Amino acid sequence: MSIEVISIIVLFVSFFGLLLLKVPVAYSIGIATTLSLLLNIDKMPGITTIAQRMTTGIDSFALLAIPFFVLAGEIMKRGGIANRLINFAKSLVSSLPGGLAYVNILASMLFGAISGSALAAASAIGSIMTDRMEEEGYPRTLSASINITASTTGLLIPPSNILIVYALASGGTASVAALFIAGYIPGILLGFAIMGYVAFIAISKGYARGKRATLFEVWTFFRKAFFSLLLLVIVVGGIVAGIFTATEASVIAVLYAAVLSLIYGDMKTKDFPDVLLTSAKTTAVVMFLICTSMAMSWLFSFEGIPEMISTFLLDSLNNKFAIFLAINIILLVVGTFMDMTPAVLIFTPIFLPVVTALGMDPVHFGIVIVLNLCIGICTPPVGTLLFVGSGVAKVSVTQVIKPLLPFLAIMVAVLMLISYIPEISMFLPRLFGL
Amino acid sequence: EKVDDTKMLYLAHGLPQTHPVHKGILEFKKALEIKSGGTLKVKIFPDAQLGSEREVLELLQIGSVAATKVSAATLSNFVPEYHILGIPYLFRDKQHQFDVLEGPIGKSILEKGSKFWLRGLCYYDAGSRSFYTSTKAIRTPEDLKGLKIRVMNNQMAINMVNSMGGSATPLAYGELYTAIQQGVVDGAENNPPSFVSSNHYEISKYYTLDQHSSVPDVLLIGTKYWDKLSDEEKIWVQEAADESAQAEKVFWNNSVEESMKIAKEAGVEIIIPDKSLFAEKSKSVVEEFVKEHPEMASIVEQIKNQ
Amino acid sequence: MSKSELVFNKVNRILEWFLILIFALLVLDVLFQVFSRYIIGRSFTWTEEFARFSLIWMTVLGAAYLNAKREHLSMDFVYEKLSPANKRKASILIELFIFLFALIVMVVGGGNLVYTTLHLEQLSGTLRIPLGYVYAIMPFSGLLIMIFSIYHITRIYTNKISS
Ligand code: NA
Ligand code: NA
Repeated sequence: MSIEVISIIVLFVSFFGLLLLKVPVAYSIGIATTLSLLLNIDKMPGITTIAQRMTTGIDSFALLAIPFFVLAGEIMKRGGIANRLINFAKSLVSSLPGGLAYVNILASMLFGAISGSALAAASAIGSIMTDRMEEEGYPRTLSASINITASTTGLLIPPSNILIVYALASGGTASVAALFIAGYIPGILLGFAIMGYVAFIAISKGYARGKRATLFEVWTFFRKAFFSLLLLVIVVGGIVAGIFTATEASVIAVLYAAVLSLIYGDMKTKDFPDVLLTSAKTTAVVMFLICTSMAMSWLFSFEGIPEMISTFLLDSLNNKFAIFLAINIILLVVGTFMDMTPAVLIFTPIFLPVVTALGMDPVHFGIVIVLNLCIGICTPPVGTLLFVGSGVAKVSVTQVIKPLLPFLAIMVAVLMLISYIPEISMFLPRLFGL
Repeated sequence: EKVDDTKMLYLAHGLPQTHPVHKGILEFKKALEIKSGGTLKVKIFPDAQLGSEREVLELLQIGSVAATKVSAATLSNFVPEYHILGIPYLFRDKQHQFDVLEGPIGKSILEKGSKFWLRGLCYYDAGSRSFYTSTKAIRTPEDLKGLKIRVMNNQMAINMVNSMGGSATPLAYGELYTAIQQGVVDGAENNPPSFVSSNHYEISKYYTLDQHSSVPDVLLIGTKYWDKLSDEEKIWVQEAADESAQAEKVFWNNSVEESMKIAKEAGVEIIIPDKSLFAEKSKSVVEEFVKEHPEMASIVEQIKNQ
Repeated sequence: MSKSELVFNKVNRILEWFLILIFALLVLDVLFQVFSRYIIGRSFTWTEEFARFSLIWMTVLGAAYLNAKREHLSMDFVYEKLSPANKRKASILIELFIFLFALIVMVVGGGNLVYTTLHLEQLSGTLRIPLGYVYAIMPFSGLLIMIFSIYHITRIYTNKISS
């Protein structure tokens, strides 16, 4: 056996062994990388190289958007923005059959879109909505399923941290600005697909429609939510208009959210140290994962692994559609047990050369990989969003699985549409010439 | 008994495989493998697969990568003498530039790197950098007034653009395409092949060939690797490097011609300004540099007088 | 509360304030970068480098803090099925793996990186500070992580915390 094959086996066996033992993911990646690299390079240069890759791997201005959007999201969560969004969403859609379910979808989408975090959306909206929906006869498990899947749309609708991580993993072939614009239609499409299924259940189960809000009420709630919604316009508008870069937009979001929360009075200046600490912790989870993943991806390049897999896929499946399907299936399987950030970091450098060789735009692939892994974070055995969503709804994970299945099927259907119809993702970036 | 007595030489750089300098490096690989009868094998990692220029230089010092090609501008953060090569309008023309680089001064700068575990092997032509803008044409230094020009995050480049009247804006290279397009900056500066391969020509209307700096690329080998080579192997490596440097100059000239053609066909207006106006404005940068690095003043003087 | 617990809590408090401080500086730095361009009309070269270095410090120091709190992301679907006795053994093994990684890669590898860059006098592009200072957060955090691992192992061993 060649040294390359042995080091790949060592890498993957030790990585999965450590994962199953519950060694933190970041450390599993780091230890597996070290073991494999030491088969190829002398001891001291080997471990020094890993330490160097861990630091230089995150030495990137674009990555600053991650702590900033996390911080902005945390401020918004505590600053009373969630309630304003729910009230506004309710005034829009509550008169439809299953009205409250749409409120849940729309509010999860809006909060996910603004905060850029599915977990923040699920925890901020889910806890409030499940109680309200139960009062009107909806099973808590159904509310949780809706909340969980609708929250993923916020990862596609900008701003989105995972798209920034992808831009980094793509080695700069996909710009953050193009990815942000590309995410709108797929994210909204996914939201509509979920609404479609909810309409079907609501009509067949006869869930009540709420009182229609008067135009005046809609106006009132819109006004109260106006400055929360305006954040979306400022962040994305500022990028498109060339006032600031995508990275700088994130810090503008922080400033705006902080000022807004202080004006609303839901947060005081003395709350900020705690908000900063919570966000620093969330940031460190993601960023430390990036550290060790960057070391692993260096090892991949050194061993020529992306080339090997790409040659294998291209030679054995001599068909574009079959290869896209194979990649999607591999990612769906990966997503069941791996969290989103490490999956994007590890698999982007492997699959991107394959799909670009077949003529897929790196921006399009970014949307595909993120949507694919959005499904993964909703599935057992490892689904962070599933865990958080069931947690805030106070139902067990196993109870949620059955009502969740049709929603997951819908996500897979949307994934197929987006994989095979590039225009859904690429229409807007092309329109804006990005 | 050892059957496999080949030595691997890992060489990483940041350029795409279509780039003329990459083609020069391929010549290095070919020549070295022939000279050594296949006992020294070169594996090239292009496209910044193993990291950015700065990061790979560190890997040479660490000892996990053997060799690299970087811009002398990046190298100056490791080996101060390379700062000299970044001085605006240092060389009168290409002939002067390579007479200096391939003569005693150039060689002595290459050797200065050994103290920092980075032994220089040869210089590659990387042409001259010039301004390109998206909205307003630059014909004289006065036109630079108020224009935000992206520069490398490097003090000399910043001082140069500011001295000419522009507003130097250091920005990550990855964000540059969008930044020009959206108007975050009004333009940038680079050599013709990079202007085209980065696709910046698609979004820039004007390319002003003021040729303000001619910073060469440098092929380097880590002393950790070099010191383990036999005397014979060292000679092969140096010879292969020198041969590749001559071949690269031809690749470079062809690439400049092709790039200018592509840019013109795309409708970019090529402006040939009076370079002396720009050189005059940037004199303060040279004075400041010499004041800050008195130990290098004599080298600058020697280069100018050669 | 035992003496080691008191020290542990004290160290955590210091870490927390340090993380808050770095994050706050990071926000102010990038805000300054955006506003200086528009309001003062000029760019400062050091803001970007300061931000990148702060992010490295915040991340690597934050990783040590997460070790103290045992809040790194991990996958427990096999672990959850273990008996309490095996969970204890597994937990000790996990901490040992973390300890070894911190020792070998972060302290020894990171230490060598700091030594090399300081010895070779490598300076950062615009702030002109020795890069070794930036990298120093690696062995420093590695040392903290090793100490936290030993602390957790002794606590698991003496049954002070549930595994
Ligand atoms: Na979002
Ligand atoms: Na999953």
